[in-house]
Amino acid sequence: MSLQTSPLEAVRPAFLTRVTPVARLVAGMAWLVTAILTLDPIVPLRLAIVAVIALALWSGLPLRRIPRRLAPLGFAIVSLTVFSILLGASNSDRSLVALIEVGPIRITGAAVSAGLSIGLRVVVIGLTTLLVFGPSDPTRMADSLVQQWHAPDRFAYGTLGALRLAPQMADDWAAISAARRLRGIGSDGPASRARDLADRLLVMLVAAIRGAERLALAMDARGFDSGLRRSHFRELRVGWRDWLTIGFALALAIAALALPR
Amino acid sequence: MTRALDASALRPAAPPPIEAVGLGWTYAGRSRPALEGLTFRLKPGRVLLVLGPSGSGKSTLARALAGLVPHVLAGQMRGSLRIGELDVATTAARILGERVGLVFQDPDSQIVMSRVDDEVAFGMENRGWPRHKMQARVPEALGQVGLAGFEPRRTATLSGGEKQRLTIADVLSARPSVLVFDEPTANLDPPGMFETLAQLADLARRREHTMVIIEHRLEAALPLADDVLLLDDEGRQIAFSPASSIDRQAVALLERSGAWVPGAWLDGDPPADDSGPRAHPQAARARDEDVLLRATDLTLEYPAEEGTARRALDAVSLEVRRGERVAIVGPNGAGKSSLLMVLCGLRRPTSGSIGLRTIAGGGGRAEPLRDPSRLAPREIASRAGLVFQDPELGFVARSARDEITATERATARRPDGEERHSEADGVLTRFGLGHLAGQDPFQLSQGEQRRLSLAALVLRPPAVLLLDEPTFGLDRRGTEAVMRLLEDLRAEGQAQLLATHDPRLLPFCDRVLALDRGRVVFDGPPERFLADPPYSPAAPWRLPAAPALAPASALALAAPGSALASAPPAALR
Repeated sequence: MSLQTSPLEAVRPAFLTRVTPVARLVAGMAWLVTAILTLDPIVPLRLAIVAVIALALWSGLPLRRIPRRLAPLGFAIVSLTVFSILLGASNSDRSLVALIEVGPIRITGAAVSAGLSIGLRVVVIGLTTLLVFGPSDPTRMADSLVQQWHAPDRFAYGTLGALRLAPQMADDWAAISAARRLRGIGSDGPASRARDLADRLLVMLVAAIRGAERLALAMDARGFDSGLRRSHFRELRVGWRDWLTIGFALALAIAALALPR
Repeated sequence: MTRALDASALRPAAPPPIEAVGLGWTYAGRSRPALEGLTFRLKPGRVLLVLGPSGSGKSTLARALAGLVPHVLAGQMRGSLRIGELDVATTAARILGERVGLVFQDPDSQIVMSRVDDEVAFGMENRGWPRHKMQARVPEALGQVGLAGFEPRRTATLSGGEKQRLTIADVLSARPSVLVFDEPTANLDPPGMFETLAQLADLARRREHTMVIIEHRLEAALPLADDVLLLDDEGRQIAFSPASSIDRQAVALLERSGAWVPGAWLDGDPPADDSGPRAHPQAARARDEDVLLRATDLTLEYPAEEGTARRALDAVSLEVRRGERVAIVGPNGAGKSSLLMVLCGLRRPTSGSIGLRTIAGGGGRAEPLRDPSRLAPREIASRAGLVFQDPELGFVARSARDEITATERATARRPDGEERHSEADGVLTRFGLGHLAGQDPFQLSQGEQRRLSLAALVLRPPAVLLLDEPTFGLDRRGTEAVMRLLEDLRAEGQAQLLATHDPRLLPFCDRVLALDRGRVVFDGPPERFLADPPYSPAAPWRLPAAPALAPASALALAAPGSALASAPPAALR
C-alpha cells in the first residue's frame, strides 16, 4: 500500500543544480551560522528574503509545490513565534513600554522582536535546507562527500541506502496505525496513548531493521565495501560555479550582518 | 525487447560448472540445519531450477553461491561448494561476487540509487572499474534487459517489472558468469512477472551463464530448466536430475513436503475448479439483509501536486453478500489497495458512499448499513477487518495468545482471566499454533505469522474480511492452510474480499472484481474472467496450465472446522 509522494527536487536545470553539493553545503552553513549568531529579527529577515530570491531564480525547484511541503514547518514557525512573544521574559520587565496590555497579558516590543527572531531563524533553516539539498538528488550529495571530502564509502552510501528506505517507513507507519484502529485498539487517555505509540514504534523499528538487513545483503552481494578501492561513475570537480556560490553566499551573510539595522 | 548491440562486448567469461559435495549450512544460533547433504554437479552453461517448500533452504543455497554464506552471514558450513575452480569456503566474497550475480525477490529492497544509470554502475564502482568502461557498459547492460534509454529515469518511478529488469541489469553489468535468481517474480504483478520471466528465458537461451533459478511460478519456469534440484522441508536433497526425466518417487516426496509442484508432473486431471464451495447457499439468495457491504460510486482522488489530480478510484460500485468471497485483481496501481483502505474506513473517499453492517444473529433483524468513517474503532472491528500483505505490521501484542485476545481486551473490557486464556489457546490449536501460544509473533515463521494474523480475527470475526495478498510467499501447504482457514471463517457467514496477484486463488472465489486505473473493468464469475481477462495483453492473467493446489472439494470438506479442527498441527505447518 503505497502512500509515497514524489520527492521535492529540481525539475529543470538551473545554476544551483550545476553546483557541487559540497559547495552548496558550505554556502548553506555560512547562512545558518549567521542566522543563529544574531538575536534580532533583521538579519534572519534579510537572509530569508535572499533565500526566497535564490530559490526562485537558481534552484530549479518546482516553486508551486514548495508551500505545501513547508506546511508542517510553517506550523512550527507560527507556534514558536507566538509562544515566544506571549511568554517572553521581557514582558514582565516593567521598565519596558508595553505594546499591548489586556488583563494579565502584557507584551513588550522586545518580546515581539525576540519572538520574530526565533521564527525567522527557523524560516532561514528551512529555506537553506531546500537550497542545499533540493537542487540535486541525494546520490550526488553522497558522491560529493566521498570525492571531495573523502568521507568513508560505508558512511556516505550506507546513509544513502537508509534514506531510500524512508518512504517505505512512512508506508509502514500508516499500515501499523491502520491495523490497530481496525482491531478496535483505540487509545484514550495520555497513558494508553503513550503505550500505544511505543508499541507502534517498536513494530516499525522491527520492520525497518528487516528492510535495512535486506538492503545491506543486496549491497554486499554487489561487492559493496569488499575491500577494493571504489571508483566513481560520475566525476565531480570543483569549478568556478562552486567558488562563486560560496563567495556570493559569504558576501550576502556578511552584508546581512554588517548593513545598518 | 530489441538488442542492437555488439555481441562480443557483452560476452562474459566462459560459464563455469557448479559442484556441491555434502553441502550443509546451519545459521548461527539455530539448531536445525538450513541445508544438509547437497551433492550435485551442474554442467557449465546449464539452467538449474530449484524446487522446495518454505524452509527448504532454497534462499540459503542462493546466498552460498554468491558467497554471502559463509562470508557475510554467520553460521557453520559443512561439505564443499565449488564454482569452477573456486571453493566458496576459501575464496574471498569479493572474488565470488565478481563471478556470481544474485538477484533477490523484492526489487525495492535491492535498488540502492535513485537514478537508473547510477544504479547500474553501483556494482562496477564497488569493484573499481575505470570510469570510461562503466560509461560504455551501463547502456549495454540496460539494452540487454530491454531498458535502453532509461539512464536518466528515476528508479522510484519504474513499474515492478521494469524495476526487476533493472536489478538484472545491475548484476549483468559487472559481467558475472553465473546468475542466481531467488524468486525474482514473487513481488510482481502478473504483467511484471511475465516481463521478468521473458527476460530469464532470453538469458537462458543465450547460454552465456550458468544459471540457478528459484521460482514458484513453476509452469513458466520449468520450460527454461535443463536440470532440477528438489529439496524437502528440512533442507535435504530429494533429487537432482534433468528436468525431462524426473522420477515419480521424487515428485511424490516433493509434493509431500508441501512445495508447489508443476502440474505437468502430477498424475491425472488438474483439480476440478468448478465443483468447489463457490455456489455458497447463502450467497445465492438475493435478500437485501444479506448485503454486508455496499459501496456506491466511490471516487478517491489524491491531491494534485502538479496539474491534475490522480484518481485512484473512479466510480467504483460493489455489493458483497453474506458468505461471499470476492477476488480483487488488477495490475499494480490499479487501485486495489486504495479500495481496501476506503472500504474499511481508513481513507475517506472523495465522493460516494459505503455501508457496512454486522452479521445478523439467528432470525434477528439486520441493522442498517453504516458508514465506516463515522464509526468508533470498536464498532468498526465487528464490521470490517483487514489483513495486510506483511502480517508483521498488523501485530499488536507480544505473544501469540495476547494477539488472539487483543480486540476482546480493547473492546469488551472484560477482565483478563483464565477463561480467556483457554479460549485463546483453543483458537491457536485450531489454527495449528497451539504450541506457540507464549511466543512473540515476530519470532514465528512466515506461514505461522499469516495464520496468526487470521486467527486474531476469530474471536470477534468481522462481518467483512479484507485481505491484501493473503497467500503471498507461501508454499502450497501454507496456501492451502490459509484457504482452509478462510473457508472456515466463511462458513459462519463472513464475506471476504481478497486482493491477489495469484490466479491460482481465483477458482476459490465466487466473483472476480477486476480494476484498471481505478475503474471496475470486470465483475463476474472467475471462470469467465480466466477465459477472457479484460487486460491487454491477457496472457499474464490466465491460469497456468495446471494449478497444483488441492482441489476445491477438499477445501470444502474442511469447511465447518471439522477436518481442520481434528487435523494435527503438523499438517498445517
